[in-house]
Amino acid sequence: MMADGATLPASTSTLGNEGGIEIRNISKAFRRAKETEGVQALQDVTLTIKPNTFVSLVGPSGCGKTTLLRMLNGLITPDSGEILVGGKPPRPGPHMGFVFQSFRLMPWRTIRENVSFPCELSGMSDKERADRADRYLDMVGLRRFADSYPNELSGGMKQRAALCRALIAEPHYLLMDEPFAALDAQTREFMQIELMKIWQHHKSIVVFVTHSVDEAVLLSDQIVLLRPRPGQVSEILDVNLPHPRWEYDAREKREFVELRHHLWERIKAMVSADPQSEFYMRGVKSEAAQGPID
Amino acid sequence: MAAQEDRAVTPITQRRPRIGPRLSHVHLNVWRSLVFVLLIAFWWLMAVFAGQNFLPTPWQTLQASFQVIGDGTVPRATLDTVMVFLAGFIAAAAFAIPFGLLMGGFRVFGATLEGYVNALSAMPRVSFIPIIIVFLGLGYEAKIFIVFIGAVMPILINTYAGVLNCDGELVEMARSAGAKDTQIFRKIMLPGALPYITAGLRVGASLALINTVVAELYTAVKGLGGLLSVYGNSFRMAPYFVVVCVLALIGVAVMQSLKLLERRMDHWRYRGERF
Repeated sequence: MMADGATLPASTSTLGNEGGIEIRNISKAFRRAKETEGVQALQDVTLTIKPNTFVSLVGPSGCGKTTLLRMLNGLITPDSGEILVGGKPPRPGPHMGFVFQSFRLMPWRTIRENVSFPCELSGMSDKERADRADRYLDMVGLRRFADSYPNELSGGMKQRAALCRALIAEPHYLLMDEPFAALDAQTREFMQIELMKIWQHHKSIVVFVTHSVDEAVLLSDQIVLLRPRPGQVSEILDVNLPHPRWEYDAREKREFVELRHHLWERIKAMVSADPQSEFYMRGVKSEAAQGPID
Repeated sequence: MAAQEDRAVTPITQRRPRIGPRLSHVHLNVWRSLVFVLLIAFWWLMAVFAGQNFLPTPWQTLQASFQVIGDGTVPRATLDTVMVFLAGFIAAAAFAIPFGLLMGGFRVFGATLEGYVNALSAMPRVSFIPIIIVFLGLGYEAKIFIVFIGAVMPILINTYAGVLNCDGELVEMARSAGAKDTQIFRKIMLPGALPYITAGLRVGASLALINTVVAELYTAVKGLGGLLSVYGNSFRMAPYFVVVCVLALIGVAVMQSLKLLERRMDHWRYRGERF
């Protein structure tokens, strides 16, 4: 997988070698205290993710994208059904990198100390930790800012640091929850290229949650379209655009345009047919609104 | 610090909120001296109007200070007061910070005690002095304990609030990276609570100083509080004001030290700032 597998922390070696992710019939409801009827965030979701694939979860708000991601990390457990990550139930840890929309850097630590946090938890020595952090910071072009504090960095830099932190323990799984949503349009495009390059060198399973259809098509091998209330898998699409995609303008390819169009129409239909959506029956042709959802 | 020249181009997205010119663009010491001169002038004016038997002029106070400082009265009393203050304040911090952390860390423990802590902190602690005298006498033990009860509550309550107000998003981040509860507490909650703890220490320090003087007035008459009582009762207002000024200076010194401590611990917040 990675060039220097010898420095892998001991905790990751116990993991099944590059195992895929198996999601079987999971359901999850959220209910507030004193409420009997909860909101069905996910219902009977089944999904298989093969090793070394980049999978995007897309769908309108309320379709349970983020919930599913948190379950893969083991931060929350499903009410029913089973998740197997590399053949085992998911548990949080440095073998799973997690990138959040809000960068979640500790303001009292320098970038280097922030980035090396997962290694610190697994008890790596100070020296080794700092070396590794510097190597990864080099990779995303932040080496110069290793001694800076997060409040001295721009949004794009902060998210690159957060990406570094997720990658530092050389994870087999990278879970990303709308990681570029808080960035401006231009920074976002550069970050997408950066992510594609990193993934090319460090193949792993990436599960990427996004609201942007464009982003999903550009980055993914596979797109899982989810439908809201209750959250269910609506459609799974393969993206067959050749890698590496930063070497040509993927957005101009016919397949890209068709996929993007298809996904967008489906999401529009879902939203305008969802009575709980603020855009219910609005701004969409009635034909689309009445169209089949599945 | 090899990245020194990089930092200049680093976009600083967060600035301290301010109104008016930036601190570094002003001759702060000029303004501070001006206020000092104005205060002295005001004092002088008040002394002239009130009559010098009630309020000594700054000049008389200065003259008196040579005498009471020269003969060792005030230095001895100051040492006494500072020792009592430090002992009580450090004991309060040593008790209140771990206790507040425990209350914040173990929610059941904190929620159970919260009401009692609030009740105790609202009580005028001076009302305990007679009981303290009964149990601890009039000596140092009693004085230190009076200082302790003055400082302990603000430190405790602030520490507790600091832990409760920790960033839930950072906690989730740490959890997703595989941090155990103890690691989350040590690496996320504790550093996050630091600004609250230092704020508590500051409030606690001023209350501790007040209680030191109160203790010296109510128990064995010693220290600077004792001198206040002696000079006040004999209407020797010039040395009385020397003691008041010394107390003010101690207050400034204590607060400045705490500020330095705060900046050492919270250096990221104050990088490149003057104070």
